[in-house]
Amino acid sequence: MNFSEIRIIGEDEILRGSKSKYVCFFGGIFIFFCFLAMRFSTYISFLFSNSGGIPYILISYIVVLSIGPFMTLISSFDIVSSETETGSVRYILSKVQRSSFILGKFFFLFLVFMSASSGIALISLIYQYSTGNAFQFESIILFWISSSLYLGCFIGIFLFISTLSANNKISFTMSVVFLGILIFFILQGNESYLKYITPFFYGIKNMEFMKGFPVGAGYLTAFESLFSMFLYILVFLSMSLLAIKRRDL
Amino acid sequence: MGQNGAGKTTTIKLLSGLSTPTQGQVFVDGMDLSSESGKIKQILGLVPQDSGFYDERTALSHMIYYGRLKGLSKKESVEQSRVLLDQVGLGNEIFKRVGYFSHGMKTRLGIAQALLNNPKVLILDEPTNGLDPVGIRQIRQILRECNNKGITVFLSSHNLLEIQEICTHVGILDKGKLIAESAIEKIRHLESNGVITVGVYNLSSEMISLIESLEFVVKTELKAEHTLDIYVNSGIDFKPEINRLIVESGGKVFKLIENSLSLEDAFFDATGIKF
Repeated sequence: MNFSEIRIIGEDEILRGSKSKYVCFFGGIFIFFCFLAMRFSTYISFLFSNSGGIPYILISYIVVLSIGPFMTLISSFDIVSSETETGSVRYILSKVQRSSFILGKFFFLFLVFMSASSGIALISLIYQYSTGNAFQFESIILFWISSSLYLGCFIGIFLFISTLSANNKISFTMSVVFLGILIFFILQGNESYLKYITPFFYGIKNMEFMKGFPVGAGYLTAFESLFSMFLYILVFLSMSLLAIKRRDL
Repeated sequence: MGQNGAGKTTTIKLLSGLSTPTQGQVFVDGMDLSSESGKIKQILGLVPQDSGFYDERTALSHMIYYGRLKGLSKKESVEQSRVLLDQVGLGNEIFKRVGYFSHGMKTRLGIAQALLNNPKVLILDEPTNGLDPVGIRQIRQILRECNNKGITVFLSSHNLLEIQEICTHVGILDKGKLIAESAIEKIRHLESNGVITVGVYNLSSEMISLIESLEFVVKTELKAEHTLDIYVNSGIDFKPEINRLIVESGGKVFKLIENSLSLEDAFFDATGIKF
Protein backbone atom coordinates (compact mmCIF):
# COMPACT_ATOMS: atom_id res chain seq x y z
CA MET A 1 0.00 0.00 0.00
CA ASN A 2 1.41 3.35 -1.05
CA PHE A 3 0.04 6.20 1.10
CA SER A 4 1.50 8.84 -1.16
CA GLU A 5 -0.44 7.48 -4.15
CA ILE A 6 -3.65 7.25 -2.09
CA ARG A 7 -3.18 10.84 -0.91
CA ILE A 8 -2.54 12.16 -4.44
CA ILE A 9 -5.60 10.40 -5.88
CA GLY A 10 -7.84 11.55 -3.02
CA GLU A 11 -6.41 15.06 -3.01
CA ASP A 12 -6.84 15.41 -6.75
CA GLU A 13 -10.45 14.25 -6.51
CA ILE A 14 -11.19 16.86 -3.86
CA LEU A 15 -9.34 19.79 -5.42
CA ARG A 16 -9.54 19.27 -9.15
CA GLY A 17 -11.53 16.12 -9.82
CA SER A 18 -14.49 16.22 -12.17
CA LYS A 19 -16.77 15.00 -9.40
CA SER A 20 -15.56 17.15 -6.56
CA LYS A 21 -17.93 20.06 -7.17
CA TYR A 22 -20.95 17.78 -7.46
CA VAL A 23 -20.02 15.80 -4.38
CA CYS A 24 -19.45 18.97 -2.39
CA PHE A 25 -22.76 20.30 -3.73
CA PHE A 26 -24.60 17.19 -2.52
CA GLY A 27 -22.78 17.39 0.80
CA GLY A 28 -23.97 21.00 1.07
CA ILE A 29 -27.56 20.02 0.24
CA PHE A 30 -27.32 17.34 2.88
CA ILE A 31 -26.31 19.84 5.54
CA PHE A 32 -29.04 22.19 4.33
CA PHE A 33 -31.71 19.48 4.74
CA CYS A 34 -30.57 18.87 8.29
CA PHE A 35 -30.64 22.60 8.96
CA LEU A 36 -34.21 22.80 7.60
CA ALA A 37 -35.27 19.84 9.73
CA MET A 38 -33.90 21.52 12.87
CA ARG A 39 -35.24 24.95 11.91
CA PHE A 40 -38.78 23.65 11.61
CA SER A 41 -38.50 21.01 14.31
CA THR A 42 -40.98 22.84 16.55
CA TYR A 43 -43.73 21.72 14.16
CA ILE A 44 -42.85 18.08 14.73
CA SER A 45 -41.94 18.32 18.40
CA PHE A 46 -45.05 16.33 19.31
CA LEU A 47 -43.28 13.30 17.85
CA PHE A 48 -40.69 13.39 20.61
CA SER A 49 -41.72 12.70 24.15
CA ASN A 50 -38.47 14.03 25.48
CA SER A 51 -38.75 16.13 28.57
CA GLY A 52 -35.42 17.79 27.87
CA GLY A 53 -36.75 19.78 24.89
CA ILE A 54 -36.49 19.09 21.16
CA PRO A 55 -33.78 16.47 20.47
CA TYR A 56 -31.96 18.28 17.68
CA ILE A 57 -29.25 15.64 17.39
CA LEU A 58 -31.86 12.94 16.94
CA ILE A 59 -33.63 14.98 14.24
CA SER A 60 -30.33 15.43 12.38
CA TYR A 61 -29.59 11.74 12.75
CA ILE A 62 -32.97 10.78 11.29
CA VAL A 63 -32.25 13.04 8.30
CA VAL A 64 -28.85 11.39 7.88
CA LEU A 65 -30.40 7.90 8.10
CA SER A 66 -33.09 8.67 5.56
CA ILE A 67 -31.43 10.97 3.02
CA GLY A 68 -27.80 9.87 3.47
CA PRO A 69 -27.99 6.68 1.36
CA PHE A 70 -29.43 8.60 -1.59
CA MET A 71 -26.83 11.35 -1.28
CA THR A 72 -24.00 8.82 -1.23
CA LEU A 73 -25.58 7.02 -4.20
CA ILE A 74 -25.62 10.15 -6.37
CA SER A 75 -22.09 11.02 -5.30
CA SER A 76 -20.40 7.64 -5.60
CA PHE A 77 -22.13 5.49 -8.20
CA ASP A 78 -19.75 6.68 -10.95
CA ILE A 79 -16.58 7.21 -8.94
CA VAL A 80 -14.77 4.34 -10.69
CA SER A 81 -17.11 3.51 -13.58
CA SER A 82 -16.68 6.98 -15.11
CA GLU A 83 -12.92 6.37 -15.24
CA THR A 84 -13.51 2.95 -16.79
CA GLU A 85 -16.00 4.37 -19.29
CA THR A 86 -13.65 7.10 -20.54
CA GLY A 87 -10.56 4.91 -20.33
CA SER A 88 -8.69 7.37 -18.09
CA VAL A 89 -8.32 4.52 -15.61
CA ARG A 90 -5.60 3.06 -17.86
CA TYR A 91 -3.50 6.20 -17.61
CA ILE A 92 -3.82 6.13 -13.82
CA LEU A 93 -3.29 2.41 -13.30
CA SER A 94 -0.22 2.37 -15.52
CA LYS A 95 1.33 4.61 -12.85
CA VAL A 96 -0.07 3.52 -9.51
CA GLN A 97 -1.13 0.37 -7.70
CA ARG A 98 -4.75 -0.65 -8.13
CA SER A 99 -5.29 -0.67 -4.36
CA SER A 100 -4.12 2.95 -4.10
CA PHE A 101 -6.62 3.93 -6.77
CA ILE A 102 -9.58 2.37 -4.93
CA LEU A 103 -8.50 3.56 -1.49
CA GLY A 104 -7.87 7.09 -2.78
CA LYS A 105 -11.36 7.22 -4.26
CA PHE A 106 -12.93 5.80 -1.09
CA PHE A 107 -11.16 8.14 1.29
CA PHE A 108 -12.05 11.13 -0.87
CA LEU A 109 -15.77 10.36 -0.60
CA PHE A 110 -15.52 9.32 3.01
CA LEU A 111 -13.76 12.56 3.89
CA VAL A 112 -16.40 14.65 2.13
CA PHE A 113 -19.26 12.90 3.92
CA MET A 114 -17.39 12.91 7.19
CA SER A 115 -17.03 16.67 6.79
CA ALA A 116 -20.76 16.92 6.00
CA SER A 117 -21.48 14.94 9.19
CA SER A 118 -19.22 17.31 11.12
CA GLY A 119 -21.12 20.27 9.68
CA ILE A 120 -24.44 18.74 10.68
CA ALA A 121 -23.10 17.91 14.14
CA LEU A 122 -21.97 21.50 14.57
CA ILE A 123 -25.35 22.90 13.52
CA SER A 124 -27.09 20.46 15.91
CA LEU A 125 -24.76 21.55 18.67
CA ILE A 126 -25.50 25.22 18.05
CA TYR A 127 -29.25 24.58 18.03
CA GLN A 128 -29.05 22.43 21.11
CA TYR A 129 -27.05 25.09 22.92
CA SER A 130 -29.05 28.11 21.72
CA THR A 131 -32.36 26.61 22.86
CA GLY A 132 -30.97 26.00 26.30
CA ASN A 133 -31.07 22.23 26.08
CA ALA A 134 -28.70 20.09 28.08
CA PHE A 135 -25.28 19.86 26.45
CA GLN A 136 -24.77 16.24 25.36
CA PHE A 137 -21.17 15.88 24.33
CA GLU A 138 -21.35 12.07 24.07
CA SER A 139 -24.38 12.24 21.80
CA ILE A 140 -22.67 14.66 19.44
CA ILE A 141 -19.54 12.53 19.23
CA LEU A 142 -21.61 9.39 18.72
CA PHE A 143 -23.70 11.19 16.11
CA TRP A 144 -20.56 12.17 14.21
CA ILE A 145 -18.94 8.73 14.32
CA SER A 146 -22.16 6.85 13.67
CA SER A 147 -23.22 9.10 10.75
CA SER A 148 -19.76 8.90 9.18
CA LEU A 149 -19.62 5.11 9.44
CA TYR A 150 -23.23 4.73 8.29
CA LEU A 151 -22.52 6.84 5.20
CA GLY A 152 -19.18 5.03 4.80
CA CYS A 153 -21.09 1.73 4.51
CA PHE A 154 -23.07 3.08 1.57
CA ILE A 155 -19.97 4.59 -0.01
CA GLY A 156 -18.38 1.12 0.25
CA ILE A 157 -21.40 -0.53 -1.39
CA PHE A 158 -21.63 1.93 -4.27
CA LEU A 159 -17.87 1.98 -4.76
CA PHE A 160 -17.93 -1.81 -5.09
CA ILE A 161 -20.76 -1.64 -7.64
CA SER A 162 -18.95 1.13 -9.52
CA THR A 163 -15.77 -0.97 -9.61
CA LEU A 164 -17.65 -3.88 -11.15
CA SER A 165 -19.47 -1.78 -13.75
CA ALA A 166 -18.25 -1.08 -17.26
CA ASN A 167 -20.08 2.23 -17.53
CA ASN A 168 -22.11 4.77 -15.54
CA LYS A 169 -25.50 3.54 -16.73
CA ILE A 170 -24.88 0.03 -15.47
CA SER A 171 -23.41 1.35 -12.25
CA PHE A 172 -26.36 3.66 -11.56
CA THR A 173 -28.95 0.98 -12.32
CA MET A 174 -27.17 -1.61 -10.17
CA SER A 175 -26.76 0.88 -7.31
CA VAL A 176 -30.45 1.83 -7.35
CA VAL A 177 -31.49 -1.83 -7.46
CA PHE A 178 -29.12 -2.72 -4.62
CA LEU A 179 -30.35 0.16 -2.48
CA GLY A 180 -33.93 -0.95 -3.21
CA ILE A 181 -33.08 -4.48 -2.08
CA LEU A 182 -31.53 -3.17 1.16
CA ILE A 183 -34.61 -1.04 1.86
CA PHE A 184 -36.80 -4.08 1.17
CA PHE A 185 -34.72 -6.15 3.62
CA ILE A 186 -35.00 -3.61 6.44
CA LEU A 187 -38.75 -3.29 5.85
CA GLN A 188 -39.09 -7.03 6.54
CA GLY A 189 -39.26 -6.16 10.23
CA ASN A 190 -37.34 -6.99 13.34
CA GLU A 191 -37.98 -10.72 13.07
CA SER A 192 -36.17 -11.15 9.79
CA TYR A 193 -32.46 -12.00 9.75
CA LEU A 194 -32.10 -10.02 6.51
CA LYS A 195 -31.90 -6.82 8.53
CA TYR A 196 -28.35 -7.76 9.61
CA ILE A 197 -27.02 -7.36 6.08
CA THR A 198 -28.22 -3.79 5.77
CA PRO A 199 -26.39 -0.76 7.18
CA PHE A 200 -29.82 0.65 8.09
CA PHE A 201 -30.10 -1.80 10.99
CA TYR A 202 -26.84 -0.69 12.60
CA GLY A 203 -27.64 2.97 12.01
CA ILE A 204 -31.13 2.70 13.48
CA LYS A 205 -29.75 0.84 16.49
CA ASN A 206 -27.85 3.99 17.48
CA MET A 207 -30.90 6.25 17.30
CA GLU A 208 -31.66 5.67 20.94
CA PHE A 209 -28.37 7.24 21.96
CA MET A 210 -29.09 10.44 20.09
CA LYS A 211 -31.79 11.38 22.56
CA GLY A 212 -29.15 11.65 25.21
CA PHE A 213 -27.12 9.60 27.65
CA PRO A 214 -27.38 7.63 29.81
CA VAL A 215 -29.64 5.05 28.24
CA GLY A 216 -30.65 1.58 29.27
CA ALA A 217 -28.74 -0.23 26.55
CA GLY A 218 -25.40 1.29 27.51
CA TYR A 219 -22.19 2.07 25.67
CA LEU A 220 -21.49 -1.50 24.65
CA THR A 221 -24.46 -1.64 22.29
CA ALA A 222 -23.36 1.61 20.68
CA PHE A 223 -19.85 0.22 20.31
CA GLU A 224 -21.23 -3.02 18.82
CA SER A 225 -23.16 -1.26 16.11
CA LEU A 226 -20.28 1.10 15.35
CA PHE A 227 -17.93 -1.86 15.07
CA SER A 228 -20.43 -3.68 12.85
CA MET A 229 -20.58 -0.68 10.50
CA PHE A 230 -16.79 -0.52 10.48
CA LEU A 231 -16.66 -4.20 9.52
CA TYR A 232 -19.30 -3.60 6.87
CA ILE A 233 -17.08 -0.92 5.31
CA LEU A 234 -14.06 -3.21 5.50
CA VAL A 235 -15.92 -6.04 3.76
CA PHE A 236 -17.09 -3.88 0.85
CA LEU A 237 -13.74 -2.13 0.55
CA SER A 238 -11.98 -5.51 0.43
CA MET A 239 -14.43 -6.70 -2.22
CA SER A 240 -13.76 -3.55 -4.26
CA LEU A 241 -10.01 -4.13 -3.98
CA LEU A 242 -10.43 -7.73 -5.05
CA ALA A 243 -12.69 -6.73 -7.94
CA ILE A 244 -10.24 -4.12 -9.29
CA LYS A 245 -7.32 -6.50 -8.84
CA ARG A 246 -8.95 -9.18 -10.95
CA ARG A 247 -10.37 -6.78 -13.47
CA ASP A 248 -9.08 -6.68 -17.04
CA LEU A 249 -8.77 -3.03 -18.00
CA MET B 1 2.43 -6.39 -35.59
CA GLY B 2 -0.50 -8.63 -36.27
CA GLN B 3 -4.04 -8.81 -37.51
CA ASN B 4 -7.01 -7.51 -35.55
CA GLY B 5 -7.51 -9.89 -32.65
CA ALA B 6 -3.98 -11.30 -32.88
CA GLY B 7 -3.22 -10.25 -29.29
CA LYS B 8 -1.34 -6.97 -29.68
CA THR B 9 -3.41 -4.98 -27.17
CA THR B 10 -3.50 -7.93 -24.76
CA THR B 11 0.31 -8.11 -24.88
CA ILE B 12 0.56 -4.40 -24.12
CA LYS B 13 -1.97 -4.68 -21.29
CA LEU B 14 0.03 -7.53 -19.81
CA LEU B 15 3.28 -5.60 -20.07
CA SER B 16 1.81 -2.51 -18.44
CA GLY B 17 -0.04 -4.40 -15.70
CA LEU B 18 -3.54 -3.56 -16.95
CA SER B 19 -4.25 -7.28 -17.31
CA THR B 20 -3.06 -10.13 -15.18
CA PRO B 21 -1.58 -13.16 -16.96
CA THR B 22 -3.42 -16.43 -16.36
CA GLN B 23 -0.12 -18.23 -16.77
CA GLY B 24 3.49 -17.39 -17.47
CA GLN B 25 5.61 -14.45 -16.39
CA VAL B 26 6.08 -10.92 -17.68
CA PHE B 27 9.50 -9.26 -17.48
CA VAL B 28 10.17 -5.61 -18.24
CA ASP B 29 13.79 -4.46 -18.15
CA GLY B 30 14.68 -7.68 -16.35
CA MET B 31 12.10 -7.14 -13.60
CA ASP B 32 9.28 -9.57 -12.90
CA LEU B 33 5.94 -7.79 -13.17
CA SER B 34 4.30 -9.97 -10.53
CA SER B 35 6.77 -9.01 -7.80
CA GLU B 36 8.16 -5.64 -8.95
CA SER B 37 5.18 -3.95 -10.56
CA GLY B 38 5.79 -0.74 -8.60
CA LYS B 39 9.34 -0.41 -9.95
CA ILE B 40 8.23 -1.30 -13.46
CA LYS B 41 5.53 1.37 -13.39
CA GLN B 42 8.21 3.94 -12.61
CA ILE B 43 10.29 3.11 -15.70
CA LEU B 44 7.39 2.60 -18.06
CA GLY B 45 5.33 5.12 -20.01
CA LEU B 46 2.07 3.88 -21.51
CA VAL B 47 -0.08 5.33 -24.28
CA PRO B 48 -3.12 3.05 -24.33
CA GLN B 49 -5.48 2.68 -27.25
CA ASP B 50 -8.66 4.81 -27.35
CA SER B 51 -8.18 6.09 -23.86
CA GLY B 52 -9.81 9.27 -22.75
CA PHE B 53 -8.89 12.24 -20.67
CA TYR B 54 -11.12 14.35 -18.46
CA ASP B 55 -12.74 16.75 -20.92
CA GLU B 56 -13.16 19.59 -18.44
CA ARG B 57 -9.52 19.63 -17.35
CA THR B 58 -6.66 21.37 -19.08
CA ALA B 59 -3.65 19.67 -20.63
CA LEU B 60 -1.38 21.06 -17.92
CA SER B 61 -3.71 19.91 -15.13
CA HIS B 62 -3.63 16.36 -16.54
CA MET B 63 0.12 16.43 -16.79
CA ILE B 64 0.61 17.68 -13.23
CA TYR B 65 -1.71 14.98 -11.88
CA TYR B 66 -0.01 12.19 -13.81
CA GLY B 67 3.41 13.56 -12.96
CA ARG B 68 2.62 13.43 -9.26
CA LEU B 69 1.32 9.88 -9.66
CA LYS B 70 4.67 9.05 -11.23
CA GLY B 71 6.42 10.22 -8.11
CA LEU B 72 7.36 13.78 -9.08
CA SER B 73 6.89 16.70 -6.72
CA LYS B 74 4.38 19.34 -7.76
CA LYS B 75 7.17 21.72 -8.81
CA GLU B 76 8.99 19.06 -10.83
CA SER B 77 5.71 17.97 -12.32
CA VAL B 78 4.89 21.49 -13.54
CA GLU B 79 8.39 21.99 -14.97
CA GLN B 80 8.47 18.65 -16.80
CA SER B 81 4.90 19.08 -18.04
CA ARG B 82 5.68 22.39 -19.71
CA VAL B 83 8.80 20.99 -21.40
CA LEU B 84 7.05 17.81 -22.60
CA LEU B 85 3.94 19.59 -23.84
CA ASP B 86 6.19 21.91 -25.77
CA GLN B 87 8.10 18.91 -27.14
CA VAL B 88 4.93 17.28 -28.51
CA GLY B 89 3.74 20.53 -30.03
CA LEU B 90 1.13 21.42 -27.41
CA GLY B 91 3.11 24.25 -25.85
CA ASN B 92 0.48 26.81 -26.78
CA GLU B 93 -2.42 24.67 -25.62
CA ILE B 94 -1.45 23.97 -22.03
CA PHE B 95 -4.39 25.89 -20.55
CA LYS B 96 -6.89 24.62 -23.11
CA ARG B 97 -9.51 22.12 -21.94
CA VAL B 98 -8.90 18.67 -23.34
CA GLY B 99 -12.55 18.47 -24.42
CA TYR B 100 -11.65 20.91 -27.20
CA PHE B 101 -8.66 18.85 -28.36
CA SER B 102 -8.62 16.96 -31.67
CA HIS B 103 -7.85 13.24 -31.77
CA GLY B 104 -4.27 13.96 -32.81
CA MET B 105 -3.77 16.45 -29.99
CA LYS B 106 -5.10 13.92 -27.48
CA THR B 107 -2.66 11.31 -28.80
CA ARG B 108 0.20 13.79 -28.41
CA LEU B 109 -0.98 14.59 -24.89
CA GLY B 110 -1.03 10.84 -24.26
CA ILE B 111 2.58 10.59 -25.38
CA ALA B 112 3.56 13.61 -23.28
CA GLN B 113 2.07 12.11 -20.11
CA ALA B 114 3.82 8.81 -20.83
CA LEU B 115 7.16 10.61 -21.01
CA LEU B 116 6.83 12.09 -17.51
CA ASN B 117 9.65 11.17 -15.13
CA ASN B 118 11.89 10.00 -18.00
CA PRO B 119 10.72 6.43 -18.65
CA LYS B 120 13.12 3.82 -20.00
CA VAL B 121 10.40 2.12 -22.00
CA LEU B 122 7.58 3.82 -23.89
CA ILE B 123 4.70 1.53 -24.84
CA LEU B 124 2.14 2.66 -27.39
CA ASP B 125 -0.93 0.78 -28.55
CA GLU B 126 -1.66 1.67 -32.18
CA PRO B 127 -0.72 5.33 -31.70
CA THR B 128 -1.54 6.48 -35.21
CA ASN B 129 -4.99 4.91 -35.39
CA GLY B 130 -7.53 7.36 -36.73
CA LEU B 131 -5.02 10.14 -37.34
CA ASP B 132 -4.72 12.19 -40.53
CA PRO B 133 -1.46 12.07 -42.54
CA VAL B 134 -0.10 15.18 -40.80
CA GLY B 135 -0.89 13.72 -37.39
CA ILE B 136 0.75 10.41 -38.31
CA ARG B 137 3.92 12.19 -39.43
CA GLN B 138 4.01 14.25 -36.21
CA ILE B 139 3.68 11.12 -34.06
CA ARG B 140 6.42 9.36 -36.04
CA GLN B 141 8.69 12.35 -35.55
CA ILE B 142 8.03 12.40 -31.79
CA LEU B 143 8.72 8.67 -31.52
CA ARG B 144 11.99 9.00 -33.43
CA GLU B 145 13.05 11.80 -31.06
CA CYS B 146 12.20 9.62 -28.06
CA ASN B 147 14.28 6.80 -29.49
CA ASN B 148 17.18 9.17 -30.17
CA LYS B 149 17.10 10.09 -26.47
CA GLY B 150 17.61 6.44 -25.59
CA ILE B 151 14.03 5.47 -24.78
CA THR B 152 12.99 2.03 -25.97
CA VAL B 153 9.81 2.54 -27.98
CA PHE B 154 7.53 -0.49 -28.09
CA LEU B 155 4.50 -0.03 -30.30
CA SER B 156 1.78 -2.19 -31.72
CA SER B 157 0.26 -1.65 -35.12
CA HIS B 158 -1.37 -3.40 -37.99
CA ASN B 159 -0.14 -0.67 -40.30
CA LEU B 160 2.84 -2.40 -41.92
CA LEU B 161 4.00 0.71 -43.74
CA GLU B 162 4.24 2.54 -40.45
CA ILE B 163 6.22 -0.28 -38.87
CA GLN B 164 8.55 -0.39 -41.86
CA GLU B 165 9.13 3.37 -41.49
CA ILE B 166 9.93 3.61 -37.80
CA CYS B 167 10.77 0.24 -36.28
CA THR B 168 14.12 -1.47 -36.00
CA HIS B 169 12.81 -4.74 -34.54
CA VAL B 170 9.56 -6.48 -35.32
CA GLY B 171 7.54 -9.27 -33.73
CA ILE B 172 4.66 -10.90 -35.58
CA LEU B 173 1.70 -12.05 -33.50
CA ASP B 174 -0.81 -14.50 -34.85
CA LYS B 175 -3.72 -15.92 -32.84
CA GLY B 176 -2.02 -14.99 -29.58
CA LYS B 177 1.37 -16.51 -30.48
CA LEU B 178 4.60 -14.76 -31.32
CA ILE B 179 5.42 -16.48 -34.58
CA ALA B 180 8.43 -14.38 -35.58
CA GLU B 181 10.64 -11.83 -33.87
CA SER B 182 13.74 -10.23 -35.27
CA ALA B 183 15.40 -7.11 -36.67
CA ILE B 184 13.20 -5.66 -39.38
CA GLU B 185 15.71 -6.37 -42.16
CA LYS B 186 15.94 -9.99 -41.07
CA ILE B 187 12.21 -10.45 -40.77
CA ARG B 188 11.70 -9.17 -44.27
CA HIS B 189 13.68 -12.22 -45.37
CA LEU B 190 12.17 -14.59 -42.91
CA GLU B 191 11.51 -17.44 -45.30
CA SER B 192 13.73 -16.33 -48.11
CA ASN B 193 16.45 -13.80 -48.59
CA GLY B 194 14.87 -12.32 -51.64
CA VAL B 195 12.74 -12.77 -54.69
CA ILE B 196 14.01 -13.09 -58.22
CA THR B 197 11.46 -12.22 -60.86
CA VAL B 198 12.08 -13.83 -64.22
CA GLY B 199 10.29 -13.13 -67.49
CA VAL B 200 10.50 -16.24 -69.76
CA TYR B 201 9.01 -17.05 -73.13
CA ASN B 202 8.09 -20.75 -73.45
CA LEU B 203 7.70 -21.08 -69.66
CA SER B 204 6.67 -24.68 -68.98
CA SER B 205 5.76 -26.65 -65.84
CA GLU B 206 8.85 -28.83 -66.35
CA MET B 207 10.98 -25.72 -66.30
CA ILE B 208 9.32 -24.59 -63.03
CA SER B 209 9.92 -28.03 -61.49
CA LEU B 210 13.58 -27.84 -62.46
CA ILE B 211 13.91 -24.40 -60.87
CA GLU B 212 12.15 -25.61 -57.68
CA SER B 213 14.57 -28.53 -57.45
CA LEU B 214 17.48 -26.11 -57.00
CA GLU B 215 18.88 -26.22 -53.48
CA PHE B 216 18.63 -22.49 -52.77
CA VAL B 217 15.05 -22.08 -54.06
CA VAL B 218 12.38 -21.93 -51.34
CA LYS B 219 9.35 -21.71 -53.59
CA THR B 220 8.07 -20.28 -56.84
CA GLU B 221 4.96 -18.30 -57.70
CA LEU B 222 3.57 -17.91 -61.20
CA LYS B 223 2.66 -14.21 -61.45
CA ALA B 224 1.57 -14.07 -65.09
CA GLU B 225 1.79 -16.23 -68.22
CA HIS B 226 5.47 -15.44 -68.71
CA THR B 227 6.47 -14.17 -65.25
CA LEU B 228 7.68 -16.27 -62.35
CA ASP B 229 8.71 -15.17 -58.84
CA ILE B 230 11.48 -17.33 -57.39
CA TYR B 231 12.02 -17.10 -53.60
CA VAL B 232 15.63 -17.82 -52.67
CA ASN B 233 17.08 -18.46 -49.22
CA SER B 234 20.58 -17.10 -49.44
CA GLY B 235 22.16 -13.72 -49.98
CA ILE B 236 24.34 -14.99 -52.88
CA ASP B 237 23.56 -13.81 -56.39
CA PHE B 238 21.81 -16.76 -58.05
CA LYS B 239 20.69 -14.88 -61.16
CA PRO B 240 23.36 -16.38 -63.50
CA GLU B 241 22.56 -19.93 -62.40
CA ILE B 242 18.82 -19.46 -62.84
CA ASN B 243 19.39 -17.85 -66.23
CA ARG B 244 21.58 -20.79 -67.33
CA LEU B 245 19.04 -23.39 -66.21
CA ILE B 246 16.17 -21.68 -68.06
CA VAL B 247 18.18 -21.26 -71.27
CA GLU B 248 19.38 -24.90 -71.11
CA SER B 249 15.78 -26.07 -70.81
CA GLY B 250 14.75 -24.13 -73.91
CA GLY B 251 13.36 -20.95 -72.37
CA LYS B 252 14.02 -17.41 -73.57
CA VAL B 253 14.71 -15.02 -70.71
CA PHE B 254 13.56 -11.43 -71.36
CA LYS B 255 13.60 -10.18 -67.72
CA LEU B 256 15.61 -11.11 -64.63
CA ILE B 257 15.23 -8.85 -61.61
CA GLU B 258 16.13 -9.38 -57.95
CA ASN B 259 13.63 -7.87 -55.45
CA SER B 260 13.72 -7.59 -51.70
CA LEU B 261 10.62 -8.79 -49.83
CA SER B 262 8.35 -6.09 -48.43
CA LEU B 263 7.29 -6.31 -44.80
CA GLU B 264 3.82 -7.09 -46.08
CA ASP B 265 5.13 -10.12 -47.98
CA ALA B 266 7.08 -11.21 -44.91
CA PHE B 267 3.96 -10.85 -42.78
CA PHE B 268 1.86 -12.97 -45.11
CA ASP B 269 4.69 -15.48 -45.40
CA ALA B 270 4.98 -15.78 -41.63
CA THR B 271 1.27 -15.99 -40.89
CA GLY B 272 0.62 -18.26 -43.85
CA ILE B 273 -2.37 -16.19 -44.94
CA LYS B 274 -3.18 -16.71 -48.61
CA PHE B 275 -5.59 -14.85 -50.91
